[in-house]
Amino acid sequence: MNAIDIRNLSKTYRTRKWGRVDALQDLTLSVGKGEVFGFLGPNGAGKSTTIKTLMGLISPSAGTAQMAGVPVGDARCRMKVGYLPENPAFYDFLTAREYLRFVAAMFGMSPQETQAATGKVLGLLELEGAADRPIRGFSKGMVQRLGLAQAMLHDPEIYVLDEPMSGLDPLGRALVKNIIRDLKQQGKTVFFSTHITADVEVVCDRVGVIVKGKLQTVNAVHELLAAGVVGYQVQVTGLSDFSGEGVEVTVRGGGILELQVPRELLSLTLEKLGSRGAEITLIEPNRQDLESFFLEVVAQGKK
Amino acid sequence: MTRGLILGALLLLYALVVVPFTTYMRQRPVALKLGYTPAGEALRLVASDQRYLLAQLAVDRVLFYFGSLFTKDGHRVSTPPEYFNMFATMQSALKLDPYNMDAYYFTEAAFTWELKRIREVNNMLDYGMKYRTWDAQLPFYAGFNAAYFSKDYRTASLYMQKAAELSGNPLYTTLASRYFYEAGQSALGITFLRAMEQSAKDAKVKKIYQVRRKALEGITVISDALNRFREARHTLPPDLKTLVREGFLSRIPEDPYGGTFYLDSKGKVVSSSKLAGKQ
Amino acid sequence: MDVFRATVVMTFRWILRDRVLHAILAVALLMILLVPALSTFSMRQVQELSITLSLSAISFVLLMVTVLLGASSVWRDIERRYLASVLTLPISRTVFLLGRFCGIACFIALCGVVLGAAAAVIISVSSAQYPSDIPIHWDKIGLALLADIAKYIMLASVGIFFSTVSTSFYFPFFASIGIYLAGSGSQEVYEYVSGQFGKEMGSVSVALFKAVYYLIPNFAAFDLKVPAIYGVPVLPAGLGLTFSYAVLYCAILLCVSSYTFSRRQFP
Repeated sequence: MNAIDIRNLSKTYRTRKWGRVDALQDLTLSVGKGEVFGFLGPNGAGKSTTIKTLMGLISPSAGTAQMAGVPVGDARCRMKVGYLPENPAFYDFLTAREYLRFVAAMFGMSPQETQAATGKVLGLLELEGAADRPIRGFSKGMVQRLGLAQAMLHDPEIYVLDEPMSGLDPLGRALVKNIIRDLKQQGKTVFFSTHITADVEVVCDRVGVIVKGKLQTVNAVHELLAAGVVGYQVQVTGLSDFSGEGVEVTVRGGGILELQVPRELLSLTLEKLGSRGAEITLIEPNRQDLESFFLEVVAQGKK
Repeated sequence: MTRGLILGALLLLYALVVVPFTTYMRQRPVALKLGYTPAGEALRLVASDQRYLLAQLAVDRVLFYFGSLFTKDGHRVSTPPEYFNMFATMQSALKLDPYNMDAYYFTEAAFTWELKRIREVNNMLDYGMKYRTWDAQLPFYAGFNAAYFSKDYRTASLYMQKAAELSGNPLYTTLASRYFYEAGQSALGITFLRAMEQSAKDAKVKKIYQVRRKALEGITVISDALNRFREARHTLPPDLKTLVREGFLSRIPEDPYGGTFYLDSKGKVVSSSKLAGKQ
Repeated sequence: MDVFRATVVMTFRWILRDRVLHAILAVALLMILLVPALSTFSMRQVQELSITLSLSAISFVLLMVTVLLGASSVWRDIERRYLASVLTLPISRTVFLLGRFCGIACFIALCGVVLGAAAAVIISVSSAQYPSDIPIHWDKIGLALLADIAKYIMLASVGIFFSTVSTSFYFPFFASIGIYLAGSGSQEVYEYVSGQFGKEMGSVSVALFKAVYYLIPNFAAFDLKVPAIYGVPVLPAGLGLTFSYAVLYCAILLCVSSYTFSRRQFP
C-alpha cells in the first residue's frame, strides 16, 4: 500500500461571470512508504490545489485520492498525517503550548503523551523559550517552525508540507532540511511542495514537476543528477602542456593545468594523462543543474 | 446521510412543536404595558442626534398602547390604563423633540375630554408654541381648552386671535368672535371636533374624535328640543320620551359610547355611559 | 468527545481574550452601574424602572455579543487563514462547528449570568431606596434572563448559519441583526395579518407573511420582561413549548449549517 495514492484527480473552479479555471487536470501520482517526494512547480501551477485536496480543504471535481489507504475527505484519513500549510497561521490568542495541546487533543493523545510530545517538538524546533508566549508575538520564522512542530506532534507516518522552507532564514532552512532528512531516516513519508530546486536536490528521493495543473514528469533525483552531468573539470600537475580532441586546456598558476573534458571523453583523457605521468589533483563533474532541468520542463509544459 | 436523517427527525419534531407553540403564542395572556420612559433631559444626553427618532418612537409606542386600550382582545390581561405614563412619555418625547406635532396632537386628544388635565395640556401647548412659532394649531387647541373646559374666555380669545393671525383661516376668526359672546358651548365643541377629525391621520385618533362628536351632536339635538319644549310649556318634561311623544324630537339619538341618554334631576342631558370609553 | 471539548475550550479562550469583547463588557458593567442613577428620574416607579433598565441593558449587551460572535465565528478563521491549519486536523467540520456553537452559547450564558448577578445587586439597592408596592419577583426576573439567553443562543445559531455560507463579516452581521428585528416583530405582524387587515391584503401576500413567520425565529415568545417587572403570571406549559422550540430551532439550523459548511471549499 502506498502512503499517498492520487488517481485521475481534477479540480475545476467556477469563477464569477461564468468562467472556468482548470486548477488540476487528471493528476495521477503515488508516493511510496518512506519516500521523500518533492512536488515542484511555478506559482499557481496546482501544487497547493493538490495538497488542499489531500487535506480535505477542497473536494475534487473528479478522481480519487487516498492517504494511508483512507480516502481523503474522511477526517480519519488525517489521523496519520502531519500537515504544514503554506504561510501557516495559528490561533494567535493562544500560546504555542496551548496550541500544541489543542492539536494533541484533536489527535486523541493522552495527557502524558501530549506532555512528552510537546516538549520534544518544541525542543527540536528551538521554540522552548517562546512556548508560553502568545503566538500573536511570533516572527514569521517562528510561526513556520511552530507549524512544523504541530505537524510532528503526533509522530505521524506521512508528512504533507506545503512550501516548508518559505519565510525561513538560512539557519531555519538548514534546520528544516535536517529535520526532513531525519524523518527519512525514521522511515517516514514526506510529500512537500516547493518552487526552489535546490531544496529538492538535497533532500528528495523523487521529484514531480507540475505546470498549469498538469503533472509533467516524475523522476528519481539521483537519476536526474546523473543524467545532468555534461562533462568534467580536471586539474593536473606535473605537465607543462596537454592537448586532446574536444578537451579545452587552460594554464593556472602554480604549474596547474585545468582541463574541461566532455563526459564521454573522460576515461580516454584520464588514460592519456596517466600515461604521461601527470598527477591528478581534482576531478569535478560539470552538470546541468536541476534548475535548468526544471526550467526546461516548465517551458515545455507551457507550450 | 446521517445528517439527512437527523435533519428529517428534527424537522418532524419541529412540526410537532411549532403548531402548539404558535397556537400558544396567539392565545397567551398579553399584558400590554406602556412602562416608563426616562426623563427627557436624561434621554437627550444619551440620544445625541438620534433624539428626533427616539421621540417619534416614544410617541408611536404611546399611540399603539392607547389604541390597544380600546380594542377588545380575548387574551389580553386587563390592567388599569397608565395615563400618567402616557403623559410622562409624551413630555419626554417633547423634551427630545419640541417640534413633534404628533405628541401635541395626541396630548390634546387624550388628556382633555376624559381626564380634564387642562392646565397640564395647556402648559405643554405653551411650551410648543415657543418652538412651532408658525403653527396655528397649538393656539387653537389651547384656546379651545381654555374656553370649553376652563370657561376662561379672555385667555381663549387671545389664543384664538393668535391662531387667526398665524393662519388667516376664517374658522379661527369665527371661533374667536364666538368666544366673545360666550356662544353655544355644544356648537363650539362640535366645530372643534369636526376640525380635529378632519386633520387626524391616525385612524384610531380619528375614531376617538368621531365618537366624541357624535355624542356631542346627540346632546345638542336633545338640548335644542328641550329648550323649545321649555319655551312652549314653561316647564321641563319628566323624561326624554315625552319630547318624542310631543313631537319636539323625532327620536332619541344613540349614545356612541354605548349608554342611553336621560334627563338628570337638574334638567341636564346626560348619558348612562358618562360619555367615556370602556376599558 | 475530547475533540469536541477541546474545540469548545479553544472557542472560549478566543472569546475571553478578544479585546473588542472586553470593551463591550466594560460598557455593559458601566450601563448597569448607571441604572440606579437613571432610575431616580422616575419619581414614582424607581424599582420598576431599575428592573426595566437592567433587563434592557443586559439584553442589548447580549445582542451585541451574540451578533459579533456569531458573525465572526467562521469569518475570522477564514480571514486569518486559521482554517487551513485547523480543519486539516482530524476533526470533522460538523464537530468543529458544533464546538464553535457550544463555546459561543456557553459564553452568552455566562455573560447573561454575570450581568444578571450584577443587575440583581443593583436592583436590590435601588428598590431598597424607594420601595415599591409591587414586590420584586426574583423568580420571574431570572426566568426573563433565561429566556433572553435562550433567545440570543438561537440568534447565535442564525449568525453561524449565515457565516457558513458567506465569506464576509458584514453579511452575517447585518443578516443576524435583520433576523433579530424581524423575529422580534413577527408575532405582531402575524396577528395583524391574520386579522381584519389581512382580509384586505390578498391571499398571496398573507400566505407569504405566514410562511416567513414560520421560517424565522419567533423572538416575541422570549420576551418575559413584563412578567418580570410587574409580576404578571407566566404559563408553565407555554414556557415548556417556548424552550423546546428554541432547542429544535437551534438544532435544525446547526444541522443545515453543518451541511453547508461541510460542502464548502477553502482554496
